[in-house]
Amino acid sequence: MDQPIVQIRELSKVYRHGDIEVVALNSVSLDIGRGEFVALMGPSGSGKSTLLHIIAGIDRPTAGRCVVEGTEVGDLSETELAAWRKQHVGFVFQTFNLIPVLTAFENVELPLLLTGLSARERRDHVEAALELVGVADRMKHLPRQLSGGQEQRVAIARALVTDPTLLVADEPTGNLDAHSAADVLVLLQTLNRAAGKTVIMVTHDPKAAAYARRMVHLEKGELLNEK
Amino acid sequence: MTIPGFIFRNALRNKRRLTLTVLSVALSLFLFTVLQTALREMSQPQLSEQSALRLIVRHKVSLANVLPSKYQSRIARVPGVKRVSRLTWFGGIYIDGGNFFAQFACDADALFDILTEVTTNPDQVAAFKKEKTACMVGIKTMNRFGWKIGQKITLRGTIYPADLELTIRGVYSGGIDETNLFFHHEYLDEATGWHVVGCYWIQTANADAIPDVIRRVDAMFSSSSAETKTETERAFQLTFLSWFGNIKLLIGSICTVIVFTMMLVTASTMSMAIRERTREIAVLKALGYNGRQIFGLILAESFGLALAGGLIGCVGTRFLAQNVDMYVLSHGFFVRFEVTPHIVAAGLLIAAAMGVVSCLAPAIASVRASVLDGLRELD
Ligand SMILES: Nc1ncnc2c1ncn2[C@@H]1O[C@H](COP(=O)(O)OP(=O)(O)OP(=O)(O)O)[C@@H](O)[C@H]1O
Ligand SMILES: [Mg+2]
Repeated sequence: MDQPIVQIRELSKVYRHGDIEVVALNSVSLDIGRGEFVALMGPSGSGKSTLLHIIAGIDRPTAGRCVVEGTEVGDLSETELAAWRKQHVGFVFQTFNLIPVLTAFENVELPLLLTGLSARERRDHVEAALELVGVADRMKHLPRQLSGGQEQRVAIARALVTDPTLLVADEPTGNLDAHSAADVLVLLQTLNRAAGKTVIMVTHDPKAAAYARRMVHLEKGELLNEK
Repeated sequence: MTIPGFIFRNALRNKRRLTLTVLSVALSLFLFTVLQTALREMSQPQLSEQSALRLIVRHKVSLANVLPSKYQSRIARVPGVKRVSRLTWFGGIYIDGGNFFAQFACDADALFDILTEVTTNPDQVAAFKKEKTACMVGIKTMNRFGWKIGQKITLRGTIYPADLELTIRGVYSGGIDETNLFFHHEYLDEATGWHVVGCYWIQTANADAIPDVIRRVDAMFSSSSAETKTETERAFQLTFLSWFGNIKLLIGSICTVIVFTMMLVTASTMSMAIRERTREIAVLKALGYNGRQIFGLILAESFGLALAGGLIGCVGTRFLAQNVDMYVLSHGFFVRFEVTPHIVAAGLLIAAAMGVVSCLAPAIASVRASVLDGLRELD
């Protein structure tokens, strides 16, 4: 394995509310290589989401380092972080989070509006992404006209369309029935295997985690030894 | 889709709310433009070039005080005075008080030598001069009441204890005010037996003579029982209009209140619209939209919304004013009602400011909010 894409060293996150301290992450160290498919596992409240958020640049650690492709993410300003996320991170959420008034096509196009691409180039990219996740035939549909599984596929297309370094997913199957969940997991697996995407997925479901190549367990904010 | 397209979609999200907001902005700007136009019409006397050569001699104390009729021949002899006519406000009622228009007793022979900018038919003017109970009426008032040449009308006196029965002998058009009625001063004198004059109307030979004429006329009567104040027609009208001073202040305050209220309404609409999108805004940030871009999206939406309302309100009023006869609608109060481009621009500027200010607080709040807080927000 060459230089890891994500390097986490002694990373801690502590929430303070008055006198009460909640340690969400306690001195976590972790490397993730290019092209890996990592499942972050652990019981509720163990700090999975917190870790993912820090890697994805939407949260900041209290101590320690998180370097993604040579960039110390915590050192960036809010504006720099936004630009960094645009380039490096594709988000997939548990609740899909598509914009309800935009069609599938337009939702996927949303991140591309910030780039200098022409309308034609944007269309090619969007169509390719929708093709890849298998909902090209639903391009003109609004989110409420799609099934949960289809919505999540559109969301994955939206995460992919800018060709980010990392694909991060927090419980991507949490709101789906078993069948749709399996479809989405197979899709993530395919993206990882065929397209070489680096995927980091939070889940507490061992069946979902089984699709990943590697499982990382957290408990009470600490990393357990990998099996 | 483009960024403007996205903004447009966001604005169209809740069509009923959008319609109501745009309409309330439009309505407030309609009121604003109407009031501002009314204010302007009231505070800017409309004058023609010819009127620059005209002077009005009135009683020094007030417009309500009258002058003796024997002043006329003395004024006529002042060097620089080309023509002079008595001009007395009759203030009569035609049928009922709602039918307001101005009526003046004057010297029929001199009238159209002084009021040179209007168009008349020479035969009608000749007929008017010959007959003591004849009158000349502005075309707008003719049309307003559907009067015909030769028709007899009665004006009930309010200031003067006399009812005048007049025969319409002619029509004039053009000039600034096409609504007045002119009749023979002799008829008023006979009907009342008073022989008093409201004002004298002077046509000067040229503009250079004006300061001299003013000085000489006022000096001439300075030690008499009725001292005079001579001024240009413009200055006279401004004096007349300064009576409306309090109305101006009132209208100004109403405008401020309207604009302020609308600002609050749009602000609450925008903050509601943005509030229910908190989660989506967080998603946009996660996708890489930075604070400035988010701010821009919100600002553009609010701005567009307010401007749409402003356009409907201001341009709509302008269009309306061009197609509705405000003279009839205001029962003769407004001779003209011109919604100037200036007023439209001021209205649009206010609408734009409304759009910006009303979204400022929620826009700043959503720029500052962290992605995580936004994502945790329930739909
Ligand atoms: N804003 C916050 N303020 C205080 N404590 C917080 C905050 N966010 C998270 N925590 C705490 O940090 C810990 C880790 O939270 P995190 O969301 O990372 O857990 P998780 O492993 O994702 O759990 P779940 O499986 O339920 O999503 C929890 O104890 C949680 O209560
Ligand atoms: Mg979680």
